[in-house]
Amino acid sequence: MTKALSAALTFTLIALAVVSFSSVAHADETKMLGVITKIDCAGKDAKTASVVLKDNKSENTVSITVNDDLTLDKFKDHRIVEGDEIRCKYETKDGKNVSTYFRKTAGC
Amino acid sequence: MGKLTIPFAMLAVLITVSVTFAKDHPGREYMEKNGFNGAATCEECHPGVAREFLDTVHWKHASKVTNVDNIDPEQEYGMKNREYTFCNGNDIVNNLKETPRNSEGKSKFTGCNTCHPGDPGDELHGVGSTGPAAEASIDCLVCHSSDYDFRLRKPVKDDKGRVIMRQDRTVKAALAVARPSAKNCMTCHESAGGGAYVKRGFLFTRENDAHAARGMVCVDCHKTRKHKIPTGFDPNNWANDGVRLACADCHGKSPHKDTHINMHTDRIACQTCHIPRTGGAFSKDFTNWTKQRDGFYEPTTLNKEANETTPVFAWYNGAVANTPRFIGPKGSRDDKKSRIYPFKVYQAKAYYNKLDGNLLSMDFAPPIATGDTLAGVASAAKTLGIKKYEPVPGWQTIYLASSHLVTRTKALSCENCHAPNGVLNFRALGYTEIETEKLTTPSIFFEEYVKRHAEKDDW
Repeated sequence: MTKALSAALTFTLIALAVVSFSSVAHADETKMLGVITKIDCAGKDAKTASVVLKDNKSENTVSITVNDDLTLDKFKDHRIVEGDEIRCKYETKDGKNVSTYFRKTAGC
Repeated sequence: MGKLTIPFAMLAVLITVSVTFAKDHPGREYMEKNGFNGAATCEECHPGVAREFLDTVHWKHASKVTNVDNIDPEQEYGMKNREYTFCNGNDIVNNLKETPRNSEGKSKFTGCNTCHPGDPGDELHGVGSTGPAAEASIDCLVCHSSDYDFRLRKPVKDDKGRVIMRQDRTVKAALAVARPSAKNCMTCHESAGGGAYVKRGFLFTRENDAHAARGMVCVDCHKTRKHKIPTGFDPNNWANDGVRLACADCHGKSPHKDTHINMHTDRIACQTCHIPRTGGAFSKDFTNWTKQRDGFYEPTTLNKEANETTPVFAWYNGAVANTPRFIGPKGSRDDKKSRIYPFKVYQAKAYYNKLDGNLLSMDFAPPIATGDTLAGVASAAKTLGIKKYEPVPGWQTIYLASSHLVTRTKALSCENCHAPNGVLNFRALGYTEIETEKLTTPSIFFEEYVKRHAEKDDW
């Protein structure tokens, strides 16, 4: 009985640990450096935009959701355009890659 | 009741007129009919404004400078001609140009003027130019339009092969003309030093700045008259329009309810407590550039986010020490004009001329393409007429003012400074050991602190 209880407790703890760690990993920030291949920003009043970045390393494309006003402004007045190289960090929330950092790499 | 009717009616008219003007700048019909022809169109209603603008730092990138050591007070200095390491060039050696081809066969347009084409203007009538052609070239809308399309503001070659900067002169942009917003200013100023938030390292947002949180914009503090923009006394920002601003202009010399805190303001600048953070680049190496993925090179840069680092503190009386190795504040505890200010310290490695010890400027076009920094020095030396030089690497330290990212809620409090190893190093600031011991114990503020919190019923 004690052994069974101990086994059940151990299983529960392991299961809890797995669930906890996977949610931590889920909220982790991913970094990437890539070139913008597409920007979808619906007009001057848009509160969100969808951007496709092509990862410089893997050449995979990643769809990023951008919600911050400063970056949205740069899409709207075209200070950031397709072809620009971007240093990006994002978190995956509800299946979307939500940008937490979105900056052009180019200097002067 | 009737007595109140007229003032209320006047107020209603005033509000209506204000709202109308805020939404719709006069001249819509004229511009829709005639198009927008740059400054010439603005001059239809604002005669003389273009000539006025040519006499400002935003156009000239230089002015006479009276508070800096080792320069000629009769000459004009600024980004146009300074030799320092933020950046390691100026408008003269880094004017807008096309780089040589890189290893991948690509070239690009580069130079300080990609951001500041005559600032604003076009490259053919750029920094410091005068006359009707210069006036006509001013890009009024880059500062005044809320609907500027930056796809139209690109450097291109004209039919004679000259590099020019295009502008957005569409009627659409012109109809959105207004008082400059923070976005108008930050479009250029956030990119100073070669990238977003590199030089100043501040992000003017509601989250980061108490003034932005109140909906204020840059020109609410930098109140502009005749296009002359007041500035503070940043040790690294020499050029000025002859008008200055300070926190006390709005907040007075005794801005706190607590008299004990007000006792600090004679010797401690507002920024010291209210701007506890800084950010951006803290070091660059102009002698060794890093190759980017696109095949172009950039100065190797150590960078932090806006608001990510802490400032250093020094006495400052508004005068600036200026040597080839150091640009920073002058002042001392004994000098009653001095106050303790926060600074962002920046250090950069660049080439010095072994023959005279002076810093050598660099034309960025050659190293951008090939990473060859000495070719950049040679090109700049040729432009500046320097015939004999021996380049040797060396470091320069610059103190930059920390005047934005103002916070009320996260301002330094008594315990931040008046403690051992606190924010302020009293010994380094000139206080004796006995004074320092007294200044770094709670006894200096304990009773008042208790009293203040009791009055506020603060738990």
